[in-house]
Amino acid sequence: MVATLEMPETTSPTIVNQPEQVPKAEIERAMIEIEQLDFAYGAHQVLHGVNLNIPARAVTAFIGPSGCGKTTLLRCLNRMNDLIDSARITQGAIRIEGVDINAPGVDVVDLRRRVGMVFQKSNPFPKSIYDNVAYGLRIAGITKRSLIDEAVEKSLRSAALWEEVKDRLHVSGYGLSGGQQQRLCIARALAVEPEIVLMDEPCSALDPIATAKVEELIRQLKEQYTIVIVTHNMQQAGRCSDHTAFFYLGRLIEFDQTAKIFSNPAQRQTEEYITGRFG
Amino acid sequence: MIAPKHILGTFDEALTSLRNNVLMMSSLTERSLDRAITGLRQRDDELCAIAIADDEEIDQLEKQVDKDGIDLLLRFQPVASDLRRVVSAMKLSSNLERMADQGTNIARRARKLNQHPPLPETELITPMYTHAMAMFRDAIDAYVREDVQLARAVVPRDQALDEMNSSASRRLIERMAEDPEQLRGYLNLIFVSRCLERVGDHATNMAEDAVYAAAAEDIRHQHLVPVANE
Repeated sequence: MVATLEMPETTSPTIVNQPEQVPKAEIERAMIEIEQLDFAYGAHQVLHGVNLNIPARAVTAFIGPSGCGKTTLLRCLNRMNDLIDSARITQGAIRIEGVDINAPGVDVVDLRRRVGMVFQKSNPFPKSIYDNVAYGLRIAGITKRSLIDEAVEKSLRSAALWEEVKDRLHVSGYGLSGGQQQRLCIARALAVEPEIVLMDEPCSALDPIATAKVEELIRQLKEQYTIVIVTHNMQQAGRCSDHTAFFYLGRLIEFDQTAKIFSNPAQRQTEEYITGRFG
Repeated sequence: MIAPKHILGTFDEALTSLRNNVLMMSSLTERSLDRAITGLRQRDDELCAIAIADDEEIDQLEKQVDKDGIDLLLRFQPVASDLRRVVSAMKLSSNLERMADQGTNIARRARKLNQHPPLPETELITPMYTHAMAMFRDAIDAYVREDVQLARAVVPRDQALDEMNSSASRRLIERMAEDPEQLRGYLNLIFVSRCLERVGDHATNMAEDAVYAAAAEDIRHQHLVPVANE
């Protein structure tokens, strides 16, 4: 599970926004609270004072040019960056349901069970469809066959894949199409019953039909899960998400309801980015 | 505010072309209305015929703007101010076409009026025309310069035009009773007055579209309860 790091560009045009000036969407209940977050790879700071409340049971999209820090921030949410030497949060906090996820004593394995992740490129294990979905459950110590069977079916149904694979559960996951493999990875993430699902450009390698299926799946999943999606596809952000956060050079420039961001953004930089006038 | 260049030059070209066609429609509509009113006031049938013929080119441009607008939406999926620019161009074009139709209607009525002795009441039309055209020019100016203040100021001016239309109609109905031999002439003038009132309505619509394009604000039908978001 190696994800490509996005490194920011070296030159930095002026950023007018200070974090406290970032427009904030009204949110009923924040699932994730990001407070004044700074993050660095070694001496290189890539996130600057990010303040963001991510609403529960809704889809939040992170958009921005390559290197703006959106993937880095996404990976902070389940401490995936712990796997990289020299990468660290230098200031600020991330709280999930009020609990600081970086506090001493937090079980990272449990955190990653609660905060699942789907990557840009589908990455099924070299196992059967069934074993892929059952993997997380077995790791968690569940051995009872009937429980695993039930969870596999439920997860595959939730990922809108059950009807397509129910007759070949024991063939290799590699035999599925790209879109099916991505939905298998989503089923694998759902099997351990997370509360939050992070998606890092989940459709970038998929054709339009497979993309539509994943987007429809996202729409259905948000009734039960909090979803955060990183995407370079503006139309996808517009279609799928309820809220959108625009990042530039490691700073959160604007966060608001998606309809507002794509019809009348408050910040000039957001407008120029989404209309294709800089990037 | 003029937007910086788009990364895709073809998008800027398409948007500029769309806008230029709307401005061309605006110029032709203004000319057509001017010819129709001049044809009425100077009893010039030839000018009226030209005004009627002008309409075809405006209709063609309306179709072109719709085609180019849809093409732009399909190819570039614009958002934010770009989307508003495309949508407002298409809406403006529709209003301009209907405004030009009023020019044609006026020219047709003028040709009928010209077959009979002149009516001094024709002069009731002049101040209405001046007022309607000032609204029209300001709406287009506001659209071109993205001047929200100017666009907003156009909207309340429609009331004065409505009052002028009511007053002219009352006067013309009185004259019908006093001078029934010219009844058809007075009736034609009532229709001309009504056409100018409609020109004011279209100018108002265009001013509202100009506000939407520049400020993303829908100022139409303000007495209604705002539509709730999903």
